[in-house]
Amino acid sequence: MTVDNSSPRQRILNLFAGKKTDRVPCFSGMGNVTTEGLKKFGYKFAELHSNAKMLADAAASTYKLFGFECGIVPFDLCVEAEALGCEINVYAHSDDILYPTIKKKLITNEEEMDIRIPSDVSNRGRMPLMKDAIRHLKSDIGDNAVIGSYVLGPFTLAGQIMELNDLLKLSFKKPDKVGKLLDNLSDVIISVAKEYESAGVDFITVREMGATSDVLSPRVFKSLILPYLKKVFSELKSANVLHICGKTNDIAVFMLESGAKAISVDQKNDVAETRKKIGSNALLFGNYDPYNVLVSGTPELVHETIKKCIDSGVSAVWPGCDIWPTVPPDNFKAMMDTVQQYRR
Amino acid sequence: MTGEDRKQEILEALKNAVVQYDEDAAKEAAQKALDLDINVNDAIFNGLVSGMEEVGRLFEAQEYFVPELLMCADALYAGLDLLKPHAETMDLGVKGSVVIGTVEGDVHDIGKNIVKMMFDVAGFTVYDLGRDVPLDKFVEEQLRTDSDLVCLSAMMTTTMVGMQKVIDRLKEKNPDVKIMIGGAPVSKELADKWGADGYADDANNALKDAINMISSLKKMKEDAEAKKSS
Ligand code: B12
Repeated sequence: MTVDNSSPRQRILNLFAGKKTDRVPCFSGMGNVTTEGLKKFGYKFAELHSNAKMLADAAASTYKLFGFECGIVPFDLCVEAEALGCEINVYAHSDDILYPTIKKKLITNEEEMDIRIPSDVSNRGRMPLMKDAIRHLKSDIGDNAVIGSYVLGPFTLAGQIMELNDLLKLSFKKPDKVGKLLDNLSDVIISVAKEYESAGVDFITVREMGATSDVLSPRVFKSLILPYLKKVFSELKSANVLHICGKTNDIAVFMLESGAKAISVDQKNDVAETRKKIGSNALLFGNYDPYNVLVSGTPELVHETIKKCIDSGVSAVWPGCDIWPTVPPDNFKAMMDTVQQYRR
Repeated sequence: MTGEDRKQEILEALKNAVVQYDEDAAKEAAQKALDLDINVNDAIFNGLVSGMEEVGRLFEAQEYFVPELLMCADALYAGLDLLKPHAETMDLGVKGSVVIGTVEGDVHDIGKNIVKMMFDVAGFTVYDLGRDVPLDKFVEEQLRTDSDLVCLSAMMTTTMVGMQKVIDRLKEKNPDVKIMIGGAPVSKELADKWGADGYADDANNALKDAINMISSLKKMKEDAEAKKSS
């Protein structure tokens, strides 16, 4: 039987389904806007976040310009927190690329941690806009590129709606209280993800960067973070990925235990080592440095880095974090060329 | 038990309270130190701070992570709050004040908070502007407080460029102020290029560097004044 790798999308779907592919795909589940794409439309970064059409145009432009095999919305990490009632700052005054942030936290002290989740949470804030953007993207490039969206992991979302310092300390002092909050937030994340699924995404990435081993011990990851990640992944219907940036080799096995179909790790890890830890069958995405290689490196460095990712056994060439917008076109081309030509 | 033994015991208790992130134990040991008239600077530096040094080692060895570090810091502050009012001017050779914050557009503040703690411990007066700080706020706050040092933190390559603007504006208003920058994407080369006076890759080095900078600043001022009056 021949396997259908006729489009990048089909190849990626095959990969998720555990079928053979002719080469590793090159895509991402995190933000993928570039300044080249913005130039093409004359858009300002700050304007994108609250306009479905612009968001989708910008997300699709990376596929159109460079052949990057996906279209992903949103670009910021505030959608769920906003749906829960936080106000965000998009830095409208700035011409620089500043990523949206939360203006004011929802929980300001320990007593407020027992939050009530609005029943229509998946329709609040920019949720309707995200679904629109997904539909635009899908009809624009969805035949050839995979369409995706991301949600935060429960712990990272908790860090958006309360002071991260407090959350980290309470993880030790009051693990039960934190557990309850994470449980509630898992429900929010699941309903948000379901809305994205019904809008038509091919896959969903869960970003749990707040629980990286640069910050939190593997022991606490296992006891406090993993159970709620399991809960989230058990409810996802579409293909999915768990991404955690920073040092993660000590938790790579737990990441896989979460039930995610694939795990994604960043450049701080020796990815050949990660591969050894999780075995040869698991899907492992990674792990080039989106800034120090793709933006500020030379095409030669890009070429060597991508080769090394492939040689180390990644299942997809995929960045360590969001694509950093100011990628020089020659570097992007070097990456796509290497993926097409190089075989392990 | 001799007085000296007793003192050692209390210093040990202060140190352990910090390492084991036990705020109550830290307060208790600090109170004992005061009751027994132990030299307060001794209690701070050979007790609390030496505990924090051990914590730093544990952090580097990845036995402790950020939550542990933050809790140790709380224990340290608990002891420090009791001892500080009784301390003579702390004997670091310098006494300085510092404005610190994470630059506009950037909410990564874990690293900045660790650096800030080092300054607190060392007896600096710290004006913490928090995170996502509008660039001009650093300039205003430096002028308002006449601080010796301004510390800027950034964790993203996009927000990092804001540092350069702050450095230019600060140096224009006040050429004598010392500026130190840090955060994962920042490097010694960038610090030099942008005209910052210091760069450090971690909190310990930040403090060492700061103390050197401020000493040289104070010396410059003294020399200038000596010239004026002669
Ligand atoms: C936790 C985290 C977050 C949290 C931050 C919460 C918080 N309150 O801090 C959240 C989830 C909110 C977050 C958001 C985002 N993040 Co983030 N995040 C991280 C992460 C995982 C850890 C950072 C950290 O705290 N490290 C631990 C501390 C202890 O280390 P440190 O900060 O380096 O500090 C030490 C030194 O640098 C130094 N130091 C620090 N400051 C100073 C200052 C001075 C003066 C001196 C001398 C020294 C010094 O001393 C410190 C102690 O030793 C990193 C990845 C990583 N592993 O580093 C990404 C990372 C920083 N994030 C990244 C990105 C892209 C984002 C987002 C843009 C994602 C998005 N699409 O929206 C947003 C940004 C939002 C915004 N506008 O700010 C990228 C930045 C890429 C780049 N090249 O610019 C990183 C590097 C991830 C990656 N793999 O690429 N993030």
